[in-house]
Order: sequence, then structure tokens, then C-alpha cells
Amino acid sequence: MEEAVIQIKNITKEFKVLNHREGVKGGLMDLFSRDYRIVRAVDDISMNVEQGEIVGYLGPNGAGKSTTIKMMAGVLEPTSGEILVNGVIPYKNRAGNSQHIGVVFGQRSQLWWALPLIESFKLLRDIYQIPKAEYEEMLSFYASIADMENLLHKPVRQMSLGQRTLSDILAAFLHNPKIVFLDEPTIGLDVSMKAKIRELILSLNEKKHTTVILTTHDMGDVDALCRRIVIIDHGKMLYDNDMDHLKGFFGSYRTLKIRVSGDVNGHLAEIQRQFPDMRTETEEGWITILVDEEKTGVMKVLNTIQESVKVRDVQIEEISTEDVIRKIYEGDMG
Amino acid sequence: MNLKKYTSLLRAGIMESLNYRLSALVLFFGNLVYIAIIYYLWRAIYASSPTDVVGGMTFTDTLIYVVLASSLFSFMEMYFVWDIGRSVQSGKIALDLIKPMAYRDYVFWSCAGTLFTNFFSVFLPTFIVIEIVTKGAIDFGMNLVWFIPSVIMGVVINYNIDFFVGSICLYTESIWGINMMKQVIVLLFSGATIPLAFFPDKLQSIAYHLPFQSIYNTPLSILLMHSPSVSQVLPMILLQLFWCVALTLFTSLFWFISIRQVTVNGG
Ligand SMILES: Nc1ncnc2c1ncn2[C@@H]1O[C@H](COP(=O)(O)OP(=O)(O)O)[C@@H](O)[C@H]1O
Ligand SMILES: [Mg+2]
Repeated sequence: MEEAVIQIKNITKEFKVLNHREGVKGGLMDLFSRDYRIVRAVDDISMNVEQGEIVGYLGPNGAGKSTTIKMMAGVLEPTSGEILVNGVIPYKNRAGNSQHIGVVFGQRSQLWWALPLIESFKLLRDIYQIPKAEYEEMLSFYASIADMENLLHKPVRQMSLGQRTLSDILAAFLHNPKIVFLDEPTIGLDVSMKAKIRELILSLNEKKHTTVILTTHDMGDVDALCRRIVIIDHGKMLYDNDMDHLKGFFGSYRTLKIRVSGDVNGHLAEIQRQFPDMRTETEEGWITILVDEEKTGVMKVLNTIQESVKVRDVQIEEISTEDVIRKIYEGDMG
Repeated sequence: MNLKKYTSLLRAGIMESLNYRLSALVLFFGNLVYIAIIYYLWRAIYASSPTDVVGGMTFTDTLIYVVLASSLFSFMEMYFVWDIGRSVQSGKIALDLIKPMAYRDYVFWSCAGTLFTNFFSVFLPTFIVIEIVTKGAIDFGMNLVWFIPSVIMGVVINYNIDFFVGSICLYTESIWGINMMKQVIVLLFSGATIPLAFFPDKLQSIAYHLPFQSIYNTPLSILLMHSPSVSQVLPMILLQLFWCVALTLFTSLFWFISIRQVTVNGG
């Protein structure tokens, strides 16, 4: 078997953060302060990723996902542990490593704002020294999967967020890197744009056999793209396995949301009494109930509730990434 | 060595700056307003002086110097410190660091297009206007030939100082204060606002031992010379060259140390 393109062994990353003081005087004192605290953003993580894999790298905000990606990209140096990307140590060989990776940090663009997209592409071609034939081939491939006519000659600042994200992803793939890191690329996009971007990532991965590491909060992204997922929280690895395996556990879960009027907490107590095994939450007049359909159907739960509570509005959702992560974190993996 | 990346960045920068025609216009008219103000300011200074010659310069000499200095400043000042500071704060620096190019080259060549545009939109018109108004106060001779390497080295020295100050931004979150301090020091000691000839002796001698005067004062002095001899110009050019090399070495080393602040501590 070929060597894994990403090999991570027991990496930890600690940040030294200044304890800020309040007010102007505090700000002045901060200048000379040695009052640091250590934040362990990534805590003893190990994994190997093979060429061509799409890995969903998940976790709640502040879990340490971006920090891990920055270490793989060579922007950050691990505090301890070993990391090899394409056989080199990224932070020691940043420029060399950069030829073989592409990165998209959601909502930060590497494109030239005032210029048509094609100019940013030409620039990347020259900076990465992409051979002419390969560049042309890549452009015609792009034309086959996206509406390039519309994008290429449009100044980036005139693009919608979706078009820009799409363009940034295409830019990251342009030099045909072995690995592309996508850090929350679909954040803030509408449903149809998300679908388009998923399709795009999938075809790029298929055509070029590019390894993709994707962080997202959108379970739809994960469903559409990732065969394997890795979950971290508080810097610690909680889970690393096939998507199918995870679905085996959570596929049968649905989130039932109902809007009630009147005494929300009273209704909640009533529902909790009726279904003591189910996790519930309230937020602004909505009650959320996590239902395991293998045990009780959602409709049955709803009918039971309706007998005693006046329901004004109903939503049924797939289990969200956050819910899955929380369940894993709570140790529901059996 | 592959020059394509640099020319390509230059080209993109030129196109990008042409897109901001409005800001070029603002720069141009801002410069005009500034020139009008200094005209009256210096006229007042000369009117209150008992002699026609102050600090070895006549009113016309001074006016030509300050007008050219201000247009040279508009052309050469690139506000790198803001760029670097902003990209540190927003985290965009991560994207720039993973380009297959040294960061200092990437930033410089990304902004070099603006220099190019500013040269033609600000400096050249001012130069021509002065030439017409003064009926040829500036020679068309060797002074122009020497001016070219001198102004290029001025740009390099200026960039090094900005890059150094930008590197300090890696340690602190407050770019504003540091940048203001830098601006004041450079504006004063470079001769960009007041000709060094007007400084008291002590201050003048300090200024000539600092790198800042190599940014604006040297190219300007060379430009204003009348058929300068090699022995006149060479010491000035060599001093500039010295500062170019010394500062490039120093700021590269300082950057190398400072960037660890980002990679190790996360900024
Ligand atoms: N440059 C930094 N300096 C100090 N702390 C940081 C820095 N970057 C991230 N952190 C901290 O590290 C933790 C993980 O952050 P991050 O990797 O951005 O999480 P995620 O991408 O999963 O949301 C957070 O607690 C965050 O506050
Ligand atoms: Mg993040």
C-alpha cells in the first residue's frame, strides 16, 4: 500500500494567551504583562489520510479544527508530536509544502478583489508555475463542471458570496495539489449554492484523485461528500471512522421541533413526562425533541403530544452535526 | 530564477490600481491641495526672514524641493504596514504564508503595481508642471540617469522599514500607534516634508547617519543637481546601496525570528 499523504502522530498545539486586563490602564499594563495562560487547542491527535480520501473533520466551534488544518498547511508549528504531509514536515518546508496543497479558509479570499477571476487564475498559474497544457486542461475541466463563462470575466468584488466561494475553491484546486483543505467553505451559502459546491468538490476529487479535508457544520455537506469522518472536541479526538458506521448509530434519529404557545416550560415538563428517554431543549417558544425512530416514530410522538399540548407549528429535521457530535461526546456510541 | 511570478504580480497590481481610478484622482488632487498649502507656508517663512536665502536655499529652490518631495512621497508610500497589520489581524496572513514564494517578496510585488501607477499619475505630472513653471529648473542630464537607481533604492529602503514595522505587528495588536510613530519619524528624517538643510546642525548630522534620508532626500538631491560628476553622486549612491543591503539582511533576520511568533504562539 502507498504511504499515507497525511501522517499525524500525537500532535498537540498549545497557544500562549495573554490575560487581558480591563480599561485603558489595564491595556497599558498588558504591554508589560507576563501573565499568560496556556490554551491547548489540539490535544494528542493522531490520524493517517490516504490519497483520494474525503475526510469530514468535525467538531463544535473552538474544537481545534482550524488549528489542526493550519498545522497541516505549515502555518503553525505543533507544540509536540509529528506531522508529515506528502512526506515533508510542513512548517519546516512551508514553500515546498505549498506546491502540493490548496487551502480555502471560509470567508477569506485569496482572489484579487478588483480584477476579473481569470486574472487571479493567471497569477496563480505563474506563481505555482503550472505548465501551460495542465492549466488549459484544468480550465476546460472547470468549464465542464461550472458556469465558467459567467465567472471568469467578472470582477471578484461583484460576485455573490456563493460565486466567490466557488471561485476560491476552484483557485485552490488550480495547481492540481495533492491535498486541499476546505475550512468551512459552505458557511453562509444558500441551499442551491451549497449543492453546487458539493458537486464541484466531488467531481474534482474524482477526476484528480485529490485528497480533501473538509470542516463544516453542515450535515448535508458531510452526507454528500465524506466517506470518513473525524470528530474532535476540546482538542481531543472523539471519533474516527466511516460515515456508514456513524449512520448505523444515528441514521434513525430525527429532530422534531414544535412551536407552542403559552407556558413553554410547563409543556416541556409534560413532554418530558411522556417521553422520559428523549433529549429535549427549548428556545424562543420552540421545543426540540430528539427522536430515535427505531424506538418510536416521529409522527407517533407528535400525535401523543398534540393530545395534551396545542401545537402551532412543526418542523422535522435530520439529526444535525451538532447533535451527532453531542451524542458522541455524551458517550452514546454504545 | 523564475521572473514570471514577479512580473505577473506586478501586472496584476497595475491592473488593480487602475481599477481604483477614483483613489488615483483623490491622490492627485490631495497632492495639489498639499502643494498649495506649502506654497503659502513657505512664502510666509521666507517673508518673515531677513534674508532671501534660508539654509542655503532660495524660495524657489525650497518650493521645488518640497513639491517634488511630496509627490515622491505620494508615489513611494505604499502603506505596507497597514496591509501587513490587517492581514495579521484578520488571519489572511495564513493564506499569504502558504504561497510558494517568500512572504516579503509576495507582499512587495503584490503592491509594486501601485508604485508603477503612482509614478505615472502623480510623480511624472508634478515633475512636468514644475519643469514648465520654473522654465527648466531641473536639468535633463546625468542627474536624471542617476535618479533612476537612486529612486529604486529609495523604494527598497522604504519597503524594508515598512516591512520591519509590519513584523512588529506580529507581536502586538495595535498597529495604529506603531505606524503613526514610524510615519512621523520617516516624514521628519527623510526630508519628505522639510528639506534637511533647514535642520539645526546637530539634527542634520543625526539625519545623515540614519537610513531615512536615503529614501527621499538622496534621490531628490540628485534630481536637483546640475550636471553632477560621478565623484559627487557615487558616495550618495553607495550609501543607499549600503542601507539597502544592511536593511534587507536585518529585516529578513527579524522577520525570520518574528514569524515564529505566529507559527509557535499563533500571533
Ligand atoms: N492564534 C491563537 N491564539 C490563541 N488561541 C487560539 C488561536 N487560534 C485558536 N485559538 C484557540 O484554540 C482553540 C481552537 O480554535 P480553532 O482551531 O480555531 O477551533 P475551530 O476551528 O474548531 O472552531 C480555541 O479555543 C481558540 O480560542
Ligand atoms: Mg475554525
